[in-house]
Formats: sequence, C-alpha cells, structure tokens
Amino acid sequence: MLDDKPAGEEATTRRDALDVARLGLTLGAGDGAVPLLADVTLRVGRGETVGLVGESGSGKSLTARAALGMVPRGARATGRVTVSGVDVLAAGRRALRDLRRTRASMVFQDPRASINPVRRVGDYLTEGLRARGTPAGAAAERARELLGQVGIADPAGAMRRFPHQFSGGMLQRVMIAGALSTEPELLLADEPTTALDVTTQAEVVALLKEMQRARGTGMLFVTHDLDLAAAICDRVYVMYAGRIVEEAPGRALFTAPAHPYTRALLEASPSAHGDRVAIKAVAGRPRALAESPSGCSFRDRCPLADDRCAEAVPAHRTHRASAVACLRPELVSP
Amino acid sequence: MTLTIPALRARRPGFRRRPLGVRFAAAFLVLVAATGLLAPVLAPHSPDTTSLLNSLAPPGTAGHLLGTDSAGRDVLSRLMYGARFSLIAPLGVVLLAGVAGTAIGLLAARAGGWVDAVLSRGMDIVFSFPSLLLAMLVVAVFGPGLTAPVCALAVSYTPFVGRVVRNVAIQEGARPYMEGYRVMGFGEAWVTLRHLLPNIAPVLVAQSALSFGYALVDLASLSYLGLGVRPPDADWGSMISQAQSAILQGSPWSALAPGLVVLLTVVSVNVLGGHLGGSIGGKKEGT
Amino acid sequence: MTARALAAWLGKRALGAVLTIVLASVLIYGALRLVPGDPVLALTAGRRLTPDQIEAVRHRYGLDQGFVRGYLSWAGDALRLDLGTSLNYQTGVSTLISGRLGVSGLLIAYSAVLAVLFGSVVALVSAVRGGLADRAATVLASVTTATPPFVAAIVLLSVFSVGLGWFPATGAGTGLADRLWHLTLPAVAMATATFGVLARVGNAAFAEELRREHVEVARSRGVGGAAVVRRHVVRNALAPLLTVIGLLVAGLFVATAIVETAFGLDGVGSLLVSSVSRRDFPVVQGVGLVAVVLFVAVNTLTDLALPFIDPRVTVGGLGR
Repeated sequence: MLDDKPAGEEATTRRDALDVARLGLTLGAGDGAVPLLADVTLRVGRGETVGLVGESGSGKSLTARAALGMVPRGARATGRVTVSGVDVLAAGRRALRDLRRTRASMVFQDPRASINPVRRVGDYLTEGLRARGTPAGAAAERARELLGQVGIADPAGAMRRFPHQFSGGMLQRVMIAGALSTEPELLLADEPTTALDVTTQAEVVALLKEMQRARGTGMLFVTHDLDLAAAICDRVYVMYAGRIVEEAPGRALFTAPAHPYTRALLEASPSAHGDRVAIKAVAGRPRALAESPSGCSFRDRCPLADDRCAEAVPAHRTHRASAVACLRPELVSP
Repeated sequence: MTLTIPALRARRPGFRRRPLGVRFAAAFLVLVAATGLLAPVLAPHSPDTTSLLNSLAPPGTAGHLLGTDSAGRDVLSRLMYGARFSLIAPLGVVLLAGVAGTAIGLLAARAGGWVDAVLSRGMDIVFSFPSLLLAMLVVAVFGPGLTAPVCALAVSYTPFVGRVVRNVAIQEGARPYMEGYRVMGFGEAWVTLRHLLPNIAPVLVAQSALSFGYALVDLASLSYLGLGVRPPDADWGSMISQAQSAILQGSPWSALAPGLVVLLTVVSVNVLGGHLGGSIGGKKEGT
Repeated sequence: MTARALAAWLGKRALGAVLTIVLASVLIYGALRLVPGDPVLALTAGRRLTPDQIEAVRHRYGLDQGFVRGYLSWAGDALRLDLGTSLNYQTGVSTLISGRLGVSGLLIAYSAVLAVLFGSVVALVSAVRGGLADRAATVLASVTTATPPFVAAIVLLSVFSVGLGWFPATGAGTGLADRLWHLTLPAVAMATATFGVLARVGNAAFAEELRREHVEVARSRGVGGAAVVRRHVVRNALAPLLTVIGLLVAGLFVATAIVETAFGLDGVGSLLVSSVSRRDFPVVQGVGLVAVVLFVAVNTLTDLALPFIDPRVTVGGLGR
C-alpha cells in the first residue's frame, strides 16, 4: 500500500496535494554524516486531512518543512517530494518561491515567534499576497475578509494593530488567515496548538478543520498528540526515529494500533483511560535516527522485540487497516 | 582583590588552548610592558640625545632600527621609554576607577532604595559627560601634565565599572545561596566581600581591560594635543604630535611607528579584554 | 499608548536631560573654583590686565560672591547665550563659537554619514553572507575600533595627502565642493573608530534578527530574499542600532578637537584645544557647555524616537 505503486505513481502525483516518496535527509557527509530522515513515504490527497504523529526529534517537523523545500543548512535530501505536481527537491529558487506563494502554506507552532513583532498584523496578512503581485488595496480587502472568517472581531481595526496586542489564540488565528490568504492546495500545520492555552487549543483545531473542509485544501497536521490526530484526521502516519512506522485511518489507529510504538503512545495518553493513575510513559527516551539501533529503530524500547528485529529495518506490510513496519503486528492487536 | 584570583585561576585553561589572536595579543602586551620596564637596559640609545646631522633617518638605518625623528633622536628608544608613560597612566586610571566603581556599585546594589537611586542617577550623569572633555577641563584648570587628567578620567570611567558591578551584584545577590548566608547570621558586609566580590571579578576584569584601552587613547590624545605629558618626558601621543610636521616633509615613519604601537596595543587590550570577559564570566554588560 | 502616559514619559525624559545639563554646568563652572590659588590668576594667566579689568573679571565670574550666587549669575548669562568674553581674543565667546560651528558641524555630519553608511553596510553584508565575509568584517572592525582619530589622521595624511597627493593636508577650503574635498580626510579620520564599533554592533544585531523564527516563516511564505532582509531583519534591528548610533554620533563632538587640530581646521574643536592650552577659561567653559548640551540632546532624542520605531518598546516600561 505504501511502497510499490509504480503504475499509479504518475496519477497520484497529479492528484495529490502532497506526495513524499522515500524521502531521506542527511546532515553533513562522510564519517560525520548524521542521518535525520530515512525512507519517509506519505501522501496527502486534495481535501484530505492527514496526521503526522511522533515524539520530539522523530523528524515530523523536518518532513513537513521539506514539503516547502525548507531543508536544514548543510543537509542533503534524497527521494522525491511533490506538491501539486511540482518536484520540490529539484525546484530552483524561483520555482520554490512561486510554490510557497501559491500552492503550499504553513501554520507554525508559536505565533508569537512566527509573526514579526514590529510590523502590523495587516502587513503580515498581506505580505504573502503582495509577494505574488496582488495590488495593495485588493490584498487588504482579502485580508479583512479572511480575518472575519477566522473569527476576529473588527477585522479593519485588527489590521492596524501589532502582534503583542493579541492573545496567543487570536494570533494563531491571524497566522491561519495568513496561511490561507494565498488559497493554497496544501496546508501544513506544524504543532499549531502546542504553544497555546489548553482552552484555546480546541477552538484553533476546530477552525483549522473547518477552513480546510470549506476550501477543500489538503492538510498535513503535525502533532505529538496521537489522540487529537486520530480524532480529526482521515489518515494518520506515526513516525519514530526518522521513519514512518505505521499508517492507518484515524479511527482504526485509535481502536486497533498495529505497531507497538503506536500502542505505547496511546497507552501513555491520559484520555485513553480517563484515569490518571493508569498513565504509562513510553519506556526509555525517544530516539533520533542517528542514535537508533540497527534493524527496527524501536527494538531497544519494545517489549516484543527479539533477535529477528535486529536483522533489518522491517518492511511495511498490511495488517488489518494499517500499513505497519513491524514483524509481529498480530501480537499488538490480534 | 586577592580573593578573586584563586577563583579565576581554577577556571583558566592553558595558554596554548586560547585562540591564536588572544595569544598574539597577550604576547604583544607583555612585550610592550617589558620593553617599557626595561627601557634603560634595552634601549639602544638615550631617548633624548639629539643629532641634527642624523635627523629623519628612515627605518633600517644602521644603529637606528626604526629610524630617527626630526631632531635625530632614535625612534625605537623613544618608543620604549614612551611606553612607560603610555601604559602607567591608563593603569592608574583603571585602578582608581576600578576601586571607586566597585565600591559605588556594591554600595548601590546592597543598600538599594534611595541610595541606589541617587548613585545610579549620578553614575548616569557622569557617564553622559564625555571623558576627554572632562580631562581637557581639568587641564585648563591645573595646566598640562598627566596627574590631573588621570584623576579626571578615573572619575569619568567609574560609572563604566560601577554600573556593571551594580547590575551583577543585584543579580548575584538575589540568588538563593546569598540568602542562605544571611539567614545563617553572617553580616551584610562580610557576605558582600567574601561571596559577592569573587562573583563580580569576571566582569570587573573585562570592564577594566576595556577602560584601559579607552583611557590609553584618551591620554595619548591629550598628549597629542600638547595637553598631556610635558617635555622632555614623552609618550606615544606626544611623539606623534612632534613628528607630524615630518609627515608633510615626506618622512612619515617617525609618526607612523608610535601610531602603529598605539593601534596594536589597543587592539590587543580589546581582544584580551573581550576574551577574558567572555570566557571567564560569560556575562554581558548590563547597561 | 495613551496621550497622558506619553506626556508623562516625555516630561520625565526631558527632566532627566535638564538635570544632566544642570549638573554638568555646575561642574564646568565649579572647575574654575578648583583652581589652586586665586582663580583670577588662572583667568588672567600671563596677561597684563589693569586692576579695573581684574575687578571686571572677578565680577563677571561671580568670584566676589558665594558659589551658588556666582553660579546662578553665570548660568543666567549662559541661558541668554552670553558665554562671556575670551581673554585671548577679546571677543564674545558666543561669537567665537558660532563663527566656527559651520566647519565643525559639517565635519561631524560628514563623518557621521560615512560611519553610519559604511558601518551598516558592512554589518549587514557580513551578517547575511556569513563565512569569509563575516570573518573579514570582524578583523576590519576590531582594527578600526582601536584606531584613535589622531592615528587615523597621520596615516591618512601620510598616504593620501603626502604620498598620493589626492587630498589637501590642511585648511577647510571655500565653497561647498571644495570644503567637502578638504574635509574628506578629517571626516574619515573621525569616522574610523565609529565605523568599527557600528560594524561590530550592527553585525551582532543583524545576525540576531536573522536567526529569528519569523524570518524563516517569511521565507516559507515565498517572500524574496532581499525583501526578507529589508522588511524583517533591517527593520527589526533599527531600534537597537539607533541607540548605539546616537551614542556614537554624540561622541564625535569631542573627536573634533583632535581631528581639527591634526588637519589645521579652524573649528570649535581646535578652538577648545588652543583655549585649554592658553587657559582661556571663558572659551573652555563655553565650548564645554555647548558640547554637553549637544551630547545630551542627541542621546535624549534617540531615546525619544525609540517607541515610535519599535512598537514593543512601550512608553511605560521603557528601559535603557
């Protein structure tokens, strides 16, 4: 399901908002080379909401940023990343700029840090439009309209205010409006609620979902919160140590996780049981790709691991609704 | 001050591990200080022996490595003797300003309240009075010479040290361990001297090095303007001043040599001061 | 910011500036009283004056009154721009200063423009390009920072005036073009150290802004490289740089003393130097007072401009 689709590849490329095929990312070269991502394959169809879940350091943000051609300085990328038919990794500076201005936008984690504090909010909203040549008046009109849509009262007044005059939740709405201003086909949301108060998180998620649905935008929702992803996403990819370890429809993932890591994540979450005493942390600490063991990256933290897990990186295979990179998914959810 | 030295030494890496620029800077300063100190032994000629037949000899002339000035005096020997005034006077400024600045800064930080407000405002005002202007003012009052300008510059640089000491002392004083000592019943003065001062040492060293560079330039400027050292004494500034007419005659060397020495000395002091401030303390100036 | 808070804040800053100037003027006046022996002897040093003239000087400086009354009468005259009479030129000090203000003002403006222009460009380019450009700029900045104006002056004189003959060695010239040509070397000599400080501080400020997340976000939105630097890096570094520039430009006032002497320019700075060495006290006091007022004015103005440049600097919580 994930790996081999030689015949359908052309078709999916044209149809999908985002198509990542065997993406690898390595920092540096030679002996000092540090691998960051390996063999990451995922796709986001038009109008589809796809979750990308993992702990910090798993490479989920790197993957999302690679979709915009934002690769860390000094890093080398392999594989292919296609956004609405544009080959991102092969694109030149101009093509990349055009892609960012028209086809793909990103909502970042911390709106306070992501919006220039010395420029007015209106300036932030129109910047993307102005960059692609929209006249100032039309861009401002469009920005006011969008501010209203994301639920900001008095859009005209808000345009003239500075970021520090907004609350975190309101500012995240501003950033969402800014990301949608260019009518992108792909919306990348990189932990869009992590920096917000608990009370505003739900509102921002609902807003994102609503905007995405109304516009038919494809959305890649990056989060460390598996429950949240399972609840709002059509499909969810689970990432561990720079690799995708499981892909499943949101509901199926929640009820029948196929990878031991996914299951551990679910069990670690308080809402799964509603009983705080039952919280189990995932044993051990999260690994980055560079420091993970040979074979299956998760095997040193996995209760089911044996010698076979060390032999090679497990290939993805279908188990129930999931595509999972584990040798014994039947032991996880029979 | 002696209290601070063991603390510094404990954290000091070997000389060889320092960056190349820092090593050059330190070596150059030692060289200049040593030649100044040992000038009577090392100098090839007397700095005051004139020889009108041998004036404005270019560098490399036999017996005169750096040539001679318009009065035929050996430039190298004059540079060596000049180092004495050029280095000792700013050293005096730094010592006076360091002691006064530390005392005022600590007093302001520990006393707080209106004492702090008055002292801080006072330091701001002194800080906003250009140092060279103050030095010229006292020269107008007391006549040319170095003593009065050294005192004036010490006053001028006191806030440079005092404001930073105050800020660091307030930061350090707010740490739990300081409160611990107070709870244990140690006197305020004892806690300040025994425990606060060693923590302030790194910024003190860095600020002192910077003030030394500034004071050296200020004093050399005064001498250049004919308001500093009085002949027959000479420092690098007055050497440049005396050699300036020779530039127009096409013999710039006797002016450029002391100019280059001033430049290299200030660069070295800045490099060393920046390095000490960065590597020992890692604390930024709080102004 | 409310108009009320703004007014209160403006009042506070202005009061602080006035307080500084008052205390500085007490110092400038009081210096005369510190003179060992009879201050009149210092005021008249070496000059032959009739007893009537001595009495006039004594009265003019309030030396026949107490310190406070003497100061008040002197300060009152100064407020009316009457800075006394030069003992050396027998001319009003205000006239002496205003006649030379043109040359000094142009020199200060010229060198400020040079230092700010080249300093910011070097800072920006080295911060954006990084690598070799950054290292070269660091070396350049640390050498120029440590170059006192008189050292810069003799180097420039040796190379460009005597060696190459491109610029005149002395004099201020007549007519604007000729004057600028004459003032080029002095302005460069004065600007050298200022340039170095600005290149270093500016580089740090720009580099810090370049690392900000919103810069990366702007790039992720397809904003072009030049626009990102202009709108998000330069714009954001403006406020911290302005404070530094204010201090540096104010520092140029005193540097005129050295550079005007080195290049034989007849300006306020060289007037101060010759008056100090001749102990022409009224002139020294007058020039000192003017310099302090200008110094404080420039620093206060840059402080006042900050909240209008950087919206994060709120009037109430403005720190130094």
